[in-house]
Amino acid sequence: MAEATDTAAEEAQAPRDEEREALLAEMTEALGDAVVGSHVAPGRGLWLRVTRDAWYDAVETVKLRFGFTFFDFLSGIDWMPSPWGRYEDAAVDTGIPRPDPDAPIETGVAGGDTRFQVFCRLADVRRPAPHRNVVLKADLPDDDLRIRSIVPLFAGANWHERECWEMFGITFDGHPGLRHLYLPSEFEGHPLRKDFPLLARLVKPWPGIVDVEPMPDEAAPGDGDTAGGDA
Amino acid sequence: MGLVESGKMPKPLTSLLNTARKYSLWAYQWGLACCAIEMGAAFASPRYDVMRLGVIPLPASPRQADVVVISGTVTDKMVPSIKRLYEQMADPKYVISMGSCTNCGGPYWDSYSVTKGIDQVLPVDVYIPGCPPRPEALLEGIVLLQQRIGREDMADRWRGDPLVVQ
Repeated sequence: MAEATDTAAEEAQAPRDEEREALLAEMTEALGDAVVGSHVAPGRGLWLRVTRDAWYDAVETVKLRFGFTFFDFLSGIDWMPSPWGRYEDAAVDTGIPRPDPDAPIETGVAGGDTRFQVFCRLADVRRPAPHRNVVLKADLPDDDLRIRSIVPLFAGANWHERECWEMFGITFDGHPGLRHLYLPSEFEGHPLRKDFPLLARLVKPWPGIVDVEPMPDEAAPGDGDTAGGDA
Repeated sequence: MGLVESGKMPKPLTSLLNTARKYSLWAYQWGLACCAIEMGAAFASPRYDVMRLGVIPLPASPRQADVVVISGTVTDKMVPSIKRLYEQMADPKYVISMGSCTNCGGPYWDSYSVTKGIDQVLPVDVYIPGCPPRPEALLEGIVLLQQRIGREDMADRWRGDPLVVQ
């Protein structure tokens, strides 16, 4: 993965981030066995992957004991490679290689064992900017997409969890009202899952690909006067 | 308006009525996305001055409006509201569909949530292409609509089937 090598190269050059590493050590000690993965990007951020059962307690500890009282966002990730690839685009736009639908799942920083993850970002805003922040993640097994709601800790997580529920189909136990937020109430399916088909893309390639404009130093095909005139 | 109902409108009277109608269009607006900024420029700024065309923007209610300008990305969740407010407008009523999203889905042609063209729901009189269209394009759309109204046979419209939105 190109991004991973870039990150690795950056980290080789970047100075060690002692503050974040100290914070990671403290948090790992406080959370104990709950921590199953972690990642420090010097100068950028801290990631902590916890077990699903410890999700609520981990958020509570990070909020109350470490003072990360600002809830930034909560969302889900579907790491599965899209079974649709690039849909019909690949037939027209051959410049980009077709992705392998059978490729193994690659998860991001702090690792992961499952297709779905829930993650949230908390920040410590007591000091002037730049604020410290941490991203907490949890793996969800495919056959049981449930996790405990953190609404009792952060009321602002309410709508984030509703969105995550309708977009990924992840249930938040203890949520005060899991209803559709963005989608019509009769909507079927979970649109942000990778295997959710975009019907328009199944029947034709992206219309924009057809109108490939020539580069400035290339001759325009056909009538040069009208090329690009519709922009 | 017994004359209109009877269908025996003298031509000069029709023409007079249509002229009166087309130069006092109360435009009700559905600004849903970035097109609404261009619509705002056309409707509410002195530079484009839509009132010189006889259009009165910003009525207090769709019930007072003659034309609705739907500008921006219509989502499936928004459609029932658009339909409902359209049904509240009094006939004769006209629809201007402004911008690629409203016309056909535009850049969201493959989206799971965007309606691919408001004409699936409402009878559109004028389509304005562009992403977003310039305010001048909206003004041209209004002029086209006025030409259309000017040619209309009021008696036909009056006695014809009412516009029913499915």
